[in-house]
Amino acid sequence: MAPVPFLLLIEDDDAIRTALELSLSRQGHRVATAASGEDGLLLLKEQRPDLIVLDVMLPGIDGFEVCRRIRRTDQLPIILLTARSDDIDVVVGLESGADDYVVKPVQGRVLDARIRAVLRRGERESTDSATYGSLVIDRAAMTVTKNGLDLQLTPTELRLLLELSRRPGQALSRQQLLRLVWEHDYLGDSRLVDACVQRLRAKVEDVPSSPTLIRTVRGVGYRLDVPA
Amino acid sequence: MTKGNRGAFARLRLSSLRLRLVVVFALVALTAAVSASGIAYWLNREAVLKRTQDSALNDFRGEMQNRVATLPLRPTQEDLRRTSEEMTENGSGYQVLLLGERAAGKPIVGASDPDVFTLADVPVALREAVGTRRPVTDANPYAYHLFWQRTERGGTPYLVGGTRIDGGGPTGYMFKSLAAEKADLNSLSWSLGIATGLAVIGSVLLAQVAASTVLRPVRRLGEAARQLGEGKLDTRLRVSGADELSDLSRTFNSAAENLQKKVADMSAREESSRRFVADMSHELRTPLTALTAVTEVLEDEQDSLDPMIAPAVALVVSETRRLNNLVENLMEVTRFDAGTARLVLDDVDIADQITACIDARAWLDAVDLDAERGIVCRLDPRRLDVILANLIGNALKHGGSPVRVSVRTEQGAAEDGSGEEELVVAVRDHGPGIPGEVLPHVFDRFYKASAQRPRSDGSGLGLSIAMENALIHGGTISAANSTGEDGAVDGAVFVLRLPRDASAVARALGTGSRQGEGTDE
Repeated sequence: MAPVPFLLLIEDDDAIRTALELSLSRQGHRVATAASGEDGLLLLKEQRPDLIVLDVMLPGIDGFEVCRRIRRTDQLPIILLTARSDDIDVVVGLESGADDYVVKPVQGRVLDARIRAVLRRGERESTDSATYGSLVIDRAAMTVTKNGLDLQLTPTELRLLLELSRRPGQALSRQQLLRLVWEHDYLGDSRLVDACVQRLRAKVEDVPSSPTLIRTVRGVGYRLDVPA
Repeated sequence: MTKGNRGAFARLRLSSLRLRLVVVFALVALTAAVSASGIAYWLNREAVLKRTQDSALNDFRGEMQNRVATLPLRPTQEDLRRTSEEMTENGSGYQVLLLGERAAGKPIVGASDPDVFTLADVPVALREAVGTRRPVTDANPYAYHLFWQRTERGGTPYLVGGTRIDGGGPTGYMFKSLAAEKADLNSLSWSLGIATGLAVIGSVLLAQVAASTVLRPVRRLGEAARQLGEGKLDTRLRVSGADELSDLSRTFNSAAENLQKKVADMSAREESSRRFVADMSHELRTPLTALTAVTEVLEDEQDSLDPMIAPAVALVVSETRRLNNLVENLMEVTRFDAGTARLVLDDVDIADQITACIDARAWLDAVDLDAERGIVCRLDPRRLDVILANLIGNALKHGGSPVRVSVRTEQGAAEDGSGEEELVVAVRDHGPGIPGEVLPHVFDRFYKASAQRPRSDGSGLGLSIAMENALIHGGTISAANSTGEDGAVDGAVFVLRLPRDASAVARALGTGSRQGEGTDE
């Protein structure tokens, strides 16, 4: 990973784009900017950024569509810039594959903290590996294989799986997972966890609609089961 | 009781217009019928009796003149008996009794049938009248007159008549049964009674019909008025005819139309002003986002700035934050107004959340928390944080330290005791309390009791937003003053009540929570 994080900022409003670029640059990031989703997708191919900060309301193809198109080929982290925290934007955004979101107007420090937290998820930390049925998690290589095939996981999905696999059989609450994976303060949005669990199940479970690995524990949270 | 019965009963309750109409109709019909039949009966009775009576008496008078006057002056008892029998033989249907004198002071009696008619059957008054001799004048050619009387024996009416032959002749009495006439009159009165009854029944039915024709539109009007009251402003009546009731219907329709127009106008105006606020706060947000992003840049550079410029920069930074806050609150309010606010539920340990809330705002030293860990509620943590931050912030700002926050759970207030369990959070300060005139308005928007109070840096929306956040959970907040042992006000208390599990409320809002609805169950 590059010592200076390289971000792609996709935002149509000139003032916000300039201001955020200024602020993020001061926080020590290298920032490339695009004023539309189409431009952003082109820049993504040319420049290979470490992370994308994506506005939802864009002219032409909107932020959700940009998110979906990126996810078809890339697993790099995406942070959404949304208008409100409690409406459908957040749900749709998370379902489109975003890793986190911030609500406008956002302070530069908050955005920076989120960016760094997302980037940390991809860092390797230990050197062992574990096997859960057909699933093999290689913590050294930061890869997950299912039946010998590499799974394309985003850093957030991978981190979520790692945190769950570190305590197999033990239920973790959504707030715990928010702190462990997203490094949110006490007011984390539990929809982040739910959306990420759904995406993770779609990739690692044999039948995503009846999961056997990542189980819901009603009233508590989620648990990674060790297959018998 | 069947529904039909109850319905009929309800239609005829004592005060109802229908019952009154029926009673009045029945009374009128009864009076008319009774008086008509009474008059008819009386006239008939007189006619029937008079005819019978006249023919019997005329016949008797003739017989007396023909037969009794021709008797010798001192007839024998046998003469009298035979004559009386002869008098009854002409088929006129009466019995005869003849009284004579064989010698002065020696009365003799001859009866046509002594078993049926004796002197005892003749009323004393009649006997006296018949026996009285009247002076013969120009106007009165006869000394004795024919008298009659109606009497009754054993329930049967009789006609008794009598007269005396002039010149000391015998006295004769006739006795006729009026049973046949009585039977005729009886059947007449029966017929009249039945006719009266039929008239009353007919009038009641007519009254029902009349009542229905009057009451149906009245009921329709009542029904329409009720619907209008329930908010169905498009309720209209079908108007037909030109009577008073259709006038009333027309008046109702135009009133309803005006009302509907007014309400539509008002809600359109309200909607447009709400849209304006929503759009405005949305539009404000774009420049604010840019401003907010660069305020930190300014803040970081503050120390190295010209001391003349630094305060200006500090002002820009702090006021940008305030503006941010205000716009955020405005947007929150418009979301509540538009009904688009949603609950995002999670299981929350209340003690942890309150600690986190006051910790995040560096209030730990000023707040005294009385809460056990382990009270877990299912609610929207972000909204709970908004409520707590506003209540505690308000207490710190306007009240005085220490602010005490206590948490407990209570069984809901449902009457049968089966109410949902409630979370109760009380925030108490030790300030001057809330003035009585302010107390009802503390949750009003932009209501600042700040004539006396120092201008706060709040938006004036904080408590109102806290209240909205409580309401959307199906809970509430109440404000009061607490009094010390000496009865003096020693602080304000805000009490927040929320259901421990807001899932039902969230479902009713149409969002629900995706959390906990795992797919592996």
